[in-house]
Order: sequence, then C-alpha cells, then structure tokens
Amino acid sequence: MKGLRDIALLFQRYTLQMLRNPVWLFVGFSTPVLYLALFTPLLKNLSHAPGFPSGSVIEVFLPGILSLLAFASGSSMGFSTIFELQSGVIERFRVTPASRFAILIGPILSGLTMMMVFDAVVVAIAVGFGFRVHFVGLLVLALLLALLATLMAAFSTATALLTKDISSFAAIINGINLPILLLAGVLLPISLGPLWMRVLAHFNPLYYLVQASRSLASGSLATAAVWQAFAVLVPMCALVLWWATRVFRKAVA
Amino acid sequence: MTLGDQGFDTGFDTGFDTGAIISTRDLRKSFTTKGGEVEAVRGVSIDVARGEIFGFLGPNGAGKTTTLRMLTTLLPIGGGTATVAGVDVARRPQEVRKRIGYVSQLGGADDLATGRENLILQGRLYGGERSTVTRRAELLMEILDLTEFADRRVRTYSGGQRRRLDVALGIVHEPEVLFLDEPSTGLDPQNRANLWEHVRNLRSHGTTIFLTTHYLEEADALCDRIMIMDHGRIVVEGTPRELKQQVEGDSVILSLHEVDGALERATTALGLEPHVRKMTSDGFDLRLYVEDGSVALPALLRTLDAVEVAIRSVSLSEPTLDDVFLARTGRSLRDAGAGRQEVRA
Ligand SMILES: Nc1ncnc2c1ncn2[C@@H]1O[C@H](COP(=O)(O)OP(=O)(O)OP(=O)(O)O)[C@@H](O)[C@H]1O
Ligand SMILES: [Mg+2]
Repeated sequence: MKGLRDIALLFQRYTLQMLRNPVWLFVGFSTPVLYLALFTPLLKNLSHAPGFPSGSVIEVFLPGILSLLAFASGSSMGFSTIFELQSGVIERFRVTPASRFAILIGPILSGLTMMMVFDAVVVAIAVGFGFRVHFVGLLVLALLLALLATLMAAFSTATALLTKDISSFAAIINGINLPILLLAGVLLPISLGPLWMRVLAHFNPLYYLVQASRSLASGSLATAAVWQAFAVLVPMCALVLWWATRVFRKAVA
Repeated sequence: MTLGDQGFDTGFDTGFDTGAIISTRDLRKSFTTKGGEVEAVRGVSIDVARGEIFGFLGPNGAGKTTTLRMLTTLLPIGGGTATVAGVDVARRPQEVRKRIGYVSQLGGADDLATGRENLILQGRLYGGERSTVTRRAELLMEILDLTEFADRRVRTYSGGQRRRLDVALGIVHEPEVLFLDEPSTGLDPQNRANLWEHVRNLRSHGTTIFLTTHYLEEADALCDRIMIMDHGRIVVEGTPRELKQQVEGDSVILSLHEVDGALERATTALGLEPHVRKMTSDGFDLRLYVEDGSVALPALLRTLDAVEVAIRSVSLSEPTLDDVFLARTGRSLRDAGAGRQEVRA
C-alpha cells in the first residue's frame, strides 16, 4: 500500500501546482469553450452534406470535442515532464524510494481529474446549446476518455524522458499528433472521407474513441463502436503504462 | 517483505570486508553521443569509511557527477561493482535509495511550492509520517537559516537560499550516507562556513558524506580524505595533508611594484632561471614553483635586481591541492577542463 500512498502524495503535489497556475487554468477552460462557440455555427451548414451522421450538430460535435480534449490533455503531459526533468525535480524523486509507477501516474491522474472538471463545464455549456444529456452514456464515455488520456499521457511522458529536450520532444509529438487528429474524425466525421482514409482510421486509437463517443453521447451503450473502443483502448493503455514505467525505472541519463 | 527476508543473497557482505560504507571496484561508464563514445568514468575504485567526509575534486567534465549518479542509482552502472551502505547498487537499487540522500548539482526543489511544502513532501516520499516530517522540516529550516522563507514559494528564493533548501531536502530523512554534488556553489562565504559547520555536525552524528567540489579550500578544510579525478580516472587519493606532502617543492610568491614593463622583464629573466619549474602570474603577482624555496629565493632576488625590477613583497608558501593536481597532470585545476571534452570515435 506504499505504492498507493506515493501516488496520493504525488497526485496532491501536481494538483496543487496546477491550481496555483492561473494562466494554465484559464487556457484549460477557454479552449473547449472556444471550440464550441466558434465551430458549432460553421457546422450548422455542413450537417446537410451527404454522409454526415444523423443527429443535431451539437450531438455530433460535442463528443468530438471531449475526445479531442482528452487527446490533447494527455499528449501535452510531456511538456511539464521536460520542464521537471530540466529543473531536477524528477531526478530528486527518482532518488527517493517512491514507487516508479507512482512517479509516472501521480501527475497523470492529477491531469485526468482536471480534465474531468473541464469536461463537466463543457457539457454544461453544451446543454445551453441544446445538447441532450444521457447520463449513463456520459459516464461510460468518461471512462473511455480517461483511458485515452492516460494512454497519451504515459506515451508523452515516456517520450519526454527519452528525448530530454523540448525541441526534439515537440517535433516528435507534433509529428505523431497531426495524422492521429486528421484520421480520427474529430472535427469532421471520417465518413465524409474517401475509402483509404476510412481504412487507415482503423489503426488509430482516437478514431475508436470518437466513434464510441458519438454513440454514447446519444445514449446507445450496446453498440459495436463502444465495445470496439474498449477492446482497443484497454490493452493499449496497459501496454503503454508498462512501457513508460520501464522507461522511468531505467536511465533518464 | 524484502528479498533479504526470504534468504536471497542480499549483497550485504561485499562492503563490510573493508569496513567501507561506500565501496567501488573498477567502476565505469561511457555514453554514446553523436560525436562518438564518451568515456566519462574509466575504472574508479574507492573505499569510503563510515563516518568520513570524503571529497571528490576534479575539473569540469572529470566524471564526478557521473560517478555520483551511478552510486545513487540514477544511472545504470556501466562496468565494475559498487556497494553503498552495504548494499549492491546494481542489484538492489531500492534498498540503496532508502539509505542515502542526494543533493544534485542542479538542485531540484519545486518552484511553485513553498520551502516547507517541499520538505514535507520529500520526507513523506521517504515514508515519514506527516507529524514527524513536519517537525523535522521545522528543525532543518532553523538549522539552515531558512525559517524566514519557509512559507514563500521557492521561485522567490535567492540562489543561496535555494541551495540551502536543496541541502535540507537531501537530509530530511536522516540518511546514512549523504551525497552532495557541489553543495557550496553559489553560497557566500558566510553561508559556506555555515554549511561546512552543518556537514561536520552531520558527520559527528554518524552520517557519511561524499561530496564533490571545485573549491580547493573546501576540500582542504572540510574533507577527511579526498580523491582527485581527471578524465574519468583517479589521479591521486589520500588525506589533504598526505597529498600536499607528496608534492616536493615550494612556491614563491613575488609581488612586483606596478611599473610599466616590469612584469615582462621579470618573466623573461625568471623564465631562464634553472630553479623555476613553472611560473604563473596574476596581475603583478608571480607564483613560481621551485625545488627548494630557501635555496632558490636568493638567486631569484638577484635575478630581479639585475633586470631592475623592484618587489613589494616576497612569500614562500607550502604546496596547495592545486599544486598536487599540477604535479600529477601538468595542468592547473583552475584552468583544466575549460571547454574540453574527450571524445573517442
Ligand atoms: N548523459 C550524458 N550523455 C553524454 N555524455 C555525458 C552525459 N553525462 C555526462 N557526460 C559526459 O561525461 C563526462 C563527465 O561528465 P560529469 O558530469 O560526470 O563531469 P563532472 O566532473 O561532474 O563535471 P562538472 O565539474 O562540470 O560538474 C563529460 O565529458 C560529459 O560531457
Ligand atoms: Mg558535475
């Protein structure tokens, strides 16, 4: 249970740190709100295009925004890792007997918690735009969002530990993010794209989340998209966590 | 339950044969970089006795930090063996971590937290209870003169205040062995003296201290035993007194009257003197290394007289640790290492 204690200690530390950074809080809240406010009007006209999923614009778009938030909040984790690496904080933690998994997961869980708070705010705002809440669906969605965010955060942290400097880290993360985002149908449904795109999308974890999120937000739980998302994200998440812990255990020269 | 409880080989034997609390044999580490392979540590064998203050001296890039990082489990050992507090570092890093404290060259305090919060978290990560750790933090801040800033964010600390906090973070859990990587860098003389005082105090309570430094005075004044390292190898090891006794010869310090051309005339003439092995200058102060000061001095004074250079003062000095390094490597610790990096393709 020492592991749990370490996780709690580090979770506390990162959460306090985030709450003390007003700029970060402001950006965290304003980004999704901006998406909603600026994209939804544009999409109104698109919703009549062939191939656009049924349902109101907000119903199609909001799950996408939540997925995007999870993806972005996860993959940006590494930036703070780089910072903490350079300031020596990580090295200081690595010399203590704290569990390596705790050093990895503490900040990730803290980021997840913040993300859930933002998500709740976004959903509340969306209700004002006419979004209908299916409670159980949203709870299951929260689980999937957490899985993807953890997966990306662990990947991002490990990449940061391996690259060690901000420029190569940023280059790698951006290089990976762009195709993932384009091939996920976050902003526009992938079903509007050509066949090759739809095939490629099936290798993309974010794609599964986006598909499942649309189904869950509309209240349908027992769809193929939902179980496929779990089937893809659970093992991937476990694998990446295992790898990232290994990276922590080994040299961070 | 640890491995040891189950009767596995604990590695608790190796270090105790020699009575050493830190013991390495042929320790090595090389890094692969774009320019080729850098051999940072090339076969270091050390034995540090329990309760000793052991100093690690060497120019930039000598391999001090790399050695420390291996001993503190931060870097995998490249070759050879190491035991710390009786525990094999490569095999049981987690056990080593419980027994040591480490203050890195970089520090590593959390900028956004206060000094007190930093100390409490650190103590708790070592398994301490909140109440115990809080009291301990209070005490340490008092000893290291940090109480005034305890509840300020570390971001607002001065360099010296921050360094003292770093040291406090390294000892909050009362480790058996404390590793300090350049602890006094950035401290003013007053605080440096305080730190020395505190380090001696830790030793008198049984802590073994392994520190690196660039300050010769520090090594001389503080350490029971020192090791000088260069290019990843041990150049020489012993007590400061022993080392200085090994350097035969003295140095003569001549302060010239500050007259145009005097310095040039003096260096040219003295350079031809057979007694002078090496000469360095600092403004109008010349330091000459000679075999035997009492024999050389009259000759040197006659030479200066002949080229009409007047002197303000003359002094003879015993060898310093810098002279030790100079005698062994042909370079001075003060200018060795600058911009140098050894790369083997
Ligand atoms: N992670 C690394 N990757 C590549 N080379 C490294 C790495 N760490 C250290 N080195 C190289 O190893 C050598 C020894 O470095 P080290 O940091 O141990 O020196 P040091 O004695 O602590 O110097 P200083 O007094 O400047 O702190 C240097 O040449 C350095 O460039
Ligand atoms: Mg160093």
